[in-house]
Amino acid sequence: ATEWNASVWGKRRAFTENVEKIAELVSEKTDGAFTINVSYGGLSKPKENLDAISIGAIEMAQFCAGYHPDKNRLITVLELPFLGVSNLEEEVAVSNAVYAHPAVQKEMAQWNARLLMTSPMPQYNIVGTGEPRDELAEFDGMRVRATGGLGEAFRAVGGVPTSVPATEAYNAMESGVVDTVAFAQHAHLSFGTINRADWWTANLNPGTVNCPIVVNTDAYDALSDDERAALDGSVDEAIAHYLANYGELLKRWDTVLEEKGVQKVMISDEVLAQFRDKAAVPARDKWIAEMAAQGLPGQELYDLVVSTLEKTRAGN
Amino acid sequence: MAGHSPVLEDGSLLSRLDRKLLRLERVFGLLSGLAVFSLMVLAVISVGGRNLFNAPLPGYVDWIEQAMPLIAFMGISFVQRDGGHIRMDILIGQLRGRALWAAELISVLMMLALMLALVWGSWAHFQRSFDFAAPWWSRDSSIDIGLPIWPAKLLAPVAFSVLCLRLCLQAFGYGRAMVLGLRNPVAVPLIQNTADQAAAEAEQLDGRG
Amino acid sequence: MDSITIGLWVTAGMLVLVVLGMRVAFAAGLAGLVGLVLVFWAKRDFGGEHLGWALTVAIKTAGQVPHSKVASQALSLIPTFILIGYLAYYAGLTRALFEAAKRWIAWMPGGLAVSTVFATAGFAAVSGASVATAAVFARIAIPEMIACGYNKRFAAGVVAAGGTLASLIPPSAILVIYAIIVEQDVGKLLLAGFIPGAFSAVIYAILIVGIAVVFKSVGPPVRGFTWRERFVSLPPALPIFFVVVIIIFFVYNPFGDAWGTPTEGGALGAFVVFLMALYRGMRWGELKSALLETAKLTVMIFTIIWGVLIYVRFLGFADLPGAFSDWITSLHMPPLLILICILLAYAVLGMFMDAIGMLLLTLPVVYPAVMALNGGEFVSAADSAFGMSGTMCAIWFGILVVKMAEFCLITPPIGLNCFVVAGVQPDLSVQDVFRGVMPFFFADAVTIALLVSFPGIVLYLPSLVG
Ligand code: NA
Ligand code: NA
Repeated sequence: ATEWNASVWGKRRAFTENVEKIAELVSEKTDGAFTINVSYGGLSKPKENLDAISIGAIEMAQFCAGYHPDKNRLITVLELPFLGVSNLEEEVAVSNAVYAHPAVQKEMAQWNARLLMTSPMPQYNIVGTGEPRDELAEFDGMRVRATGGLGEAFRAVGGVPTSVPATEAYNAMESGVVDTVAFAQHAHLSFGTINRADWWTANLNPGTVNCPIVVNTDAYDALSDDERAALDGSVDEAIAHYLANYGELLKRWDTVLEEKGVQKVMISDEVLAQFRDKAAVPARDKWIAEMAAQGLPGQELYDLVVSTLEKTRAGN
Repeated sequence: MAGHSPVLEDGSLLSRLDRKLLRLERVFGLLSGLAVFSLMVLAVISVGGRNLFNAPLPGYVDWIEQAMPLIAFMGISFVQRDGGHIRMDILIGQLRGRALWAAELISVLMMLALMLALVWGSWAHFQRSFDFAAPWWSRDSSIDIGLPIWPAKLLAPVAFSVLCLRLCLQAFGYGRAMVLGLRNPVAVPLIQNTADQAAAEAEQLDGRG
Repeated sequence: MDSITIGLWVTAGMLVLVVLGMRVAFAAGLAGLVGLVLVFWAKRDFGGEHLGWALTVAIKTAGQVPHSKVASQALSLIPTFILIGYLAYYAGLTRALFEAAKRWIAWMPGGLAVSTVFATAGFAAVSGASVATAAVFARIAIPEMIACGYNKRFAAGVVAAGGTLASLIPPSAILVIYAIIVEQDVGKLLLAGFIPGAFSAVIYAILIVGIAVVFKSVGPPVRGFTWRERFVSLPPALPIFFVVVIIIFFVYNPFGDAWGTPTEGGALGAFVVFLMALYRGMRWGELKSALLETAKLTVMIFTIIWGVLIYVRFLGFADLPGAFSDWITSLHMPPLLILICILLAYAVLGMFMDAIGMLLLTLPVVYPAVMALNGGEFVSAADSAFGMSGTMCAIWFGILVVKMAEFCLITPPIGLNCFVVAGVQPDLSVQDVFRGVMPFFFADAVTIALLVSFPGIVLYLPSLVG
């Protein structure tokens, strides 16, 4: 029998449903010969899941590229602001395209890791208190809890990105340490920031984090043919389950907003275009130049994301 | 339970090495203390900047996370020098002479084994975050402002190596005491009875009330 | 060997090492490392050719833990809280507090002892360490009480017991450690300690007045302070109130928005005391020794933390906590009775062990079991065994456990506070102090019983926040 450990964090939630589902499917398909034990933080820390994979202590892990950009430079292309991804299906498509790129796989091979699938996240929209901020000028001086590239995007329009751990985001909002917090919907729910909010931007869509599931290469190679087929063959189904489940959550989202009396703010196309010009273009150019300086195919990956996005939209 | 035990000194090579190492340990300990002080200063800058100039310290959390290993590791050998790491000495405190030195020796050797393993393990942890070919030699960076993490990770094997040196000295000190049947060996922390120990703790606070 | 068996053997081995006198941090680290080797090796069926692989993976896994666990923003509260305590000595805050308390309340029967308790409670608001508090007040308060005709054993007992307040009233290093281990909100826990700490102080005071009324010779009233003298004594003690206000208001502001995060509050509190100490004439030499002492205590605590967390990482791979909580929840006993048994077990363990070491070694296994007993981490108050949600149960249990750990500081045979008090006053033996502190066992027993029966005492403040 083959027993794998998969390291994720927090509690079981929409974000971990792909791992839970693949564990279930693999065990079913192999009649229990191949089991995956999903551990919520007992085996490693979120920021060190790649290390644990590299050591060989665990066989499967979830991580987010933005937690440690230098560990996974190329994947951070998917976290650039205003890529234009508008739903989870598109997020899956661009992730898959990037994960399949040889340079990305080579970078992951440094960690003895093999990319298995993604955990698509919706765009990080902001919640805030008081009057909704829907003009670019209103972002000036706004203290926003947003890390990494997203923080930079807000800085480009005069915002003040402020470091606060996710778990302190609620306190930070309550105490005025920050005016607004950027999270995906499920995080606004689980960290309670939605309870403090007066408004939520429905279509700012400034960007998101990218969180792949990887497996340890040696452990993968050591699987029997049947086991490997069971694992690889379950990816699509696990993602489908994830999307369906997250879809339910998003449907509930509007009800939640109504219950909590949170106003849904639509930003005008004109303002969005201004924001994009100020934040997205410089961030993208800077990222591509940085990659080029290290001999990495940044431009190629960026173009891949854009073309994949076009193709996905044309296909629908 | 815990507390600080006296370490005897004389002109022997062992004792001189002990004091040489102590000088290094004291510097490391002070670095650790200064890092605590800097935490306080960071908070004042962050809160002040936020409230007075609407300019919070960028990457405040990242900086704290960088300072913590400095605080947590650098003094580890300084504390071991006079037996400050907590233990239960109810049983071992009953022993006398060679039996006591033998027990201390075994305990120190086990600690040494653990620390050698951890020097290796924490070095490997550092190495995974370090890459000569990358900008800032960094292959692991902090979440908010992308500080390279390898310097903080390097502190663990460095501090642990110093502790290994200290444990070697203490192993030698206890071993020597065991073989020669010494009553008051130099360069090792001696167990105090409870009354002496409490008096020593009180002494430490003397005049500060 | 399955992983549960490995978990039990390794745990037993660790406890033997600790009892035999190996330093706790390293005994736990070593047990964790050996356990990891066994767990990984077991995965490859203990094949001889796989030992090298298991050893490497175990060492690298253990080698991650120190940096990974220590580089945490939440843990930064511990050194800050310790620094506040050391700086407070130099700022002369302790004597100022005692003086003020004395002038205002010494006129009651046992009044000087009550002043001592309230002054220790006030000092607790800047100090995170119980033993240091006891040592300081033994020096200041005991001679004064004896000079005013107090029974010396009684005086010693008051100080030893008063010292224990420091770990409940925020700031408290031990509550931060609890929060880290169980991954709960530090701010809420600190807030939760406030009322039980003040509550303990009041119960001590009631007990003291009662004793002084019944046994007239034990603690005679001290009169003769003018109102002027009383008011003059207040300003030097003021920085304490600043610090209290800062820390409390950074966690929870009853009048509006909190001022910041707990981490910032702790650091700003330290800064105020630092300025005060500078004003009182602290120079580089003194600052340096304060920093060195802070570093020593901090390093000692952090070494235990990462040492124990290596063991905890091993427990994660062996899944022992899961097995233990399955066992606890399968017992056919009322959950409250099981909880009381757990608290009694802590009382016994605490007789022999240091508080921090005891909590760190036991919580990884005991905490999940207690949470399971209540109905799980995400249970609602309505569905739970103790009538509170998972988060609230975590806070409640934390305060109970810390109160137990504090109780152990004054119980024989190893009651560190009593040793320290006896050490400071040469004409007091340890037996004297233990005899003097005995009445306070009852006070503590009453306090713990009340905290168990009326969780609201603990949970009122945290329930106001988010
Ligand atoms: Na305190
Ligand atoms: Na005790």
